[in-house]
Amino acid sequence: MSWLFQFAGGQDLLSILMSLFWFIFMLIFLIYPTFSQKIQLSYMLRDVEKKLLKLKYFRDEVRKRTIDHLNKYSDGNIEVDKGVDRLLGSVVIEPIDRDPYGIMYKLEHIVNTWEETFENEVKALCPKADEKTVKTLTNLVEVARGLDYIYRIIRHYYLLGKKTANIYTVLQVQMILPQVMEIANAYRQASYAFAQGQPIGDGVGVLAVAKLVDGMEKKTYEIAKDTIVQEAFWNGRKLLVLRAKGPGGAVGKPGEGVKKLIEAEGDRVKAVITIDAGLKLEGEESGKIIEGVGAAIGGIGVERYKIEEISKAKGIPLYAFVIYESIAEAITPMRENIAKAAEKVVEKIKNLILEKIDDGATVIVAGIGNTVGIGIT
Amino acid sequence: MISGRDVEKIPTPLTHMKCLKCGTINSRPFKEGDYVFKEVEEKCPKCGHNKMRIIGIYVKEKKEKRRVKLF
Repeated sequence: MSWLFQFAGGQDLLSILMSLFWFIFMLIFLIYPTFSQKIQLSYMLRDVEKKLLKLKYFRDEVRKRTIDHLNKYSDGNIEVDKGVDRLLGSVVIEPIDRDPYGIMYKLEHIVNTWEETFENEVKALCPKADEKTVKTLTNLVEVARGLDYIYRIIRHYYLLGKKTANIYTVLQVQMILPQVMEIANAYRQASYAFAQGQPIGDGVGVLAVAKLVDGMEKKTYEIAKDTIVQEAFWNGRKLLVLRAKGPGGAVGKPGEGVKKLIEAEGDRVKAVITIDAGLKLEGEESGKIIEGVGAAIGGIGVERYKIEEISKAKGIPLYAFVIYESIAEAITPMRENIAKAAEKVVEKIKNLILEKIDDGATVIVAGIGNTVGIGIT
Repeated sequence: MISGRDVEKIPTPLTHMKCLKCGTINSRPFKEGDYVFKEVEEKCPKCGHNKMRIIGIYVKEKKEKRRVKLF
């Protein structure tokens, strides 16, 4: 025993045990160099697990809200929960892009089929819902599907990282999780907005054009699926105001609408003005209005492609107004400064028309976005 | 386990209405079925006219605490 006391500097038994403990601990690091990485991995996995639990809570909450809301418009014989689960797991397969010729029209065909199928499925689950409610309910199911997908992706990388004990897989998930959680929370709020039929930030473009023609004498007609045109005269100029049909949740087919309008009006169209919500950078003010050229329109690109194609062929200039907002603001109930921006952008559109469009000419003004909670003036 | 208390509260927007007779603007919490530009049968608090038009539905901004912004 004396050698042991000598090793610990001749101190008491507790000091000896402490020294021994540290000696073994240091030895572990020497023999097992990835030990520190294992500890770090377990901390990271615990952090991801906590956020994944929160994601699961959001997913379940949104799924329950969707089923409860759909049940209001269903009848007793339909199993809404099974129908919703089937829709949540459905997929859209993008067209092959190795031969990109005509890909936009292939993409449009697939998206149209998808939208139609999705809407019909919702309609079958909710026979008591009217046309505008079916559109809003379809949006609600799409939100639930989006959140379910986010949850499944994060769970996949968490389990994969845990199974393979790969710190780099877990590290990447942990790095993007703060942004993912922000988007997931926005989806959660969006589901509430769609369930209630509240206007969302993305609808600011539609709100702006609705305010533009409010009080004017006009003719309203449908030009493409869920898309309407309001023809009005203002200061000697003919306005063709295009937007999705509200107040149900729809984005319409603005590209198709603009194409048909230009084909019908011919050379009289002197400009196409698009108004849409755009993603701001961190630090930028929400509701800030930016002016530019080009087609301000998001989505998968089919609608923008159509506007660009026809305007290039006819030599029509494209002007754009973008209202800045964050991704969360775009899909959650509309904020005050975004709603106020819709009023300000109306004045800017009027100034642009007076400046660029001659008396007697025609201008197309397209309000882009989701019309949930925004009626027709 | 995540409880409802751990998650952010969902904000309720206000419905802003304009009286079709005197133009007074009034607001109340959003009710299901409201949409912008809808005409509702609600009494104007100023003139008592019972038709108002919804002119906006939005969440009121919280007043930020005054602090010096560097960027």
